[in-house]
Amino acid sequence: MLLVPLRAAHAVSQKITRRYLRPPGSLKEVDFLTACIRCGQCGEVCPNRCIKYFGFDEGVSMKDTPYIVPRVKACILCMKCGDICPTGAIQPVQRLAEHIIANVDMGKARVDENLCLSFQGKTCGVCYRACPLPDIAIRVGMLEQPHVLDQCVGCGLCERSCIQLPQAIKVIPAHTRLG
Amino acid sequence: MMKYLFMRQLNKQRLCCLSLVFLLLIYLPFASIYQNYTAAHAYDLLNSEEKFLYDVMQTLTEPLVNDPVQLDALKGTTWSARIGAYKISDPLAVVSQSSASKSWDTSFALTALVPLLVSLLAGRIFCGWICPATLLYELNTNFALFLNKLGVPIHRWDFDRRLKYAVLILGTLVTMLSGLMILPAIYPPAIVGREIYYVIALDGFSISTIFFVLTLMADTFVAKRGFCRYLCPGGALYSLLGRYRLLRIQRKVSICNDCQRCDSICEFGLHPMSDQFGQECNNCTACIATCPANSLQFHWTPVDQPYQGPGHQGRQYIAANTELIATDARRSCSG
Repeated sequence: MLLVPLRAAHAVSQKITRRYLRPPGSLKEVDFLTACIRCGQCGEVCPNRCIKYFGFDEGVSMKDTPYIVPRVKACILCMKCGDICPTGAIQPVQRLAEHIIANVDMGKARVDENLCLSFQGKTCGVCYRACPLPDIAIRVGMLEQPHVLDQCVGCGLCERSCIQLPQAIKVIPAHTRLG
Repeated sequence: MMKYLFMRQLNKQRLCCLSLVFLLLIYLPFASIYQNYTAAHAYDLLNSEEKFLYDVMQTLTEPLVNDPVQLDALKGTTWSARIGAYKISDPLAVVSQSSASKSWDTSFALTALVPLLVSLLAGRIFCGWICPATLLYELNTNFALFLNKLGVPIHRWDFDRRLKYAVLILGTLVTMLSGLMILPAIYPPAIVGREIYYVIALDGFSISTIFFVLTLMADTFVAKRGFCRYLCPGGALYSLLGRYRLLRIQRKVSICNDCQRCDSICEFGLHPMSDQFGQECNNCTACIATCPANSLQFHWTPVDQPYQGPGHQGRQYIAANTELIATDARRSCSG
């Protein structure tokens, strides 16, 4: 029982500070941590090798759980990790646009208009070209200015491709969302 | 006689089996890297070492699969794996997952069905024949003997075997109360499988390696195979499952010659010569392989024999050995 408040405090601190993505189709963070058996098969099957594993630094509850840092390598939505996950911590999702849009929620991209080149008058549009769901997750307006739509699943390919540093478009992970 | 010859080879076959599993655990991360290269069509962009890995893996896998994507058929570790269309998991994974989430996932529980049935039939057979940590622990036993020969003091203390059931129950309770998945973090086969993958395909060892090395050192200096005997939660679970197992090693008292080789070779500190196997025996068959009189054999029976007394060939071992085997051979041929 002693561990419960510790874990709660830990979860809160994680929720506010860390920015990482879970593999596509993952359960909500709290359910994910209790459903994942730390077998490491999602990373092994990932053809893009974007799935990495937490070490001990992030705490006992996070040890050996999979994560994706989109700036390093983003998810290509191949959905193999959901197929291989034995516990359903990563739900199997068919590799079709409508299934992915309906069931995948890794996060949502957000554009920082102060950093984005297109909003500074220099036509860019790289994020739109990198998006696997163009005009569904992101659309471009005048001067290729990106606008993220509600159906963005948060794969992070836009963040990976953004030519600005720091990135003008970033994925806000689902687990950091309030409510 | 053929039957004895076969059983006496089982220990070697078991070591082959353990080595094969270990080699597979090393091969799989390389296969994963190779698949990454082929998926990216990146051969020309690789440096010379990566090209070497690519070429080796291509040579190895080309006879087996047309397309490297088909290597997805075999993935995972002994903790949880996918073989073709079948997923197979350690029963301890089901225990820790269902206690952490406090819910029952039938489709996941079914992945542990085959290991469960095999354990009900043959007890701790996973520990003896598959567990990748067992290979390292057994090599470590020999290493401890080597150290001892050099004059390094090593201890062979005995503890209460029921300690591991306490570890299992305590681990499950803590998992249930806190939701922390701690069993995979202290279960050597899960650690070994994961760490091999981390070292080859990802950034390198994690802190679990330190824990595993500590268990190795405890095995060397404190108690022979101490972790498996006294602490392993998975071993505890398999022991419980194998309590009423059907496949058991039994001693044929009429030809036993009281040489005690089986007692001294048993990694788990059991006493085959006193008919004490219990639920702990991991069917490693080392006692069968070492028995000079072929008195230890596998039998289909749900209970161990009570102590049968000293062997009837007692104290005639050195003089009568050759004759004994000859008589025994005649007996089994005629029977």
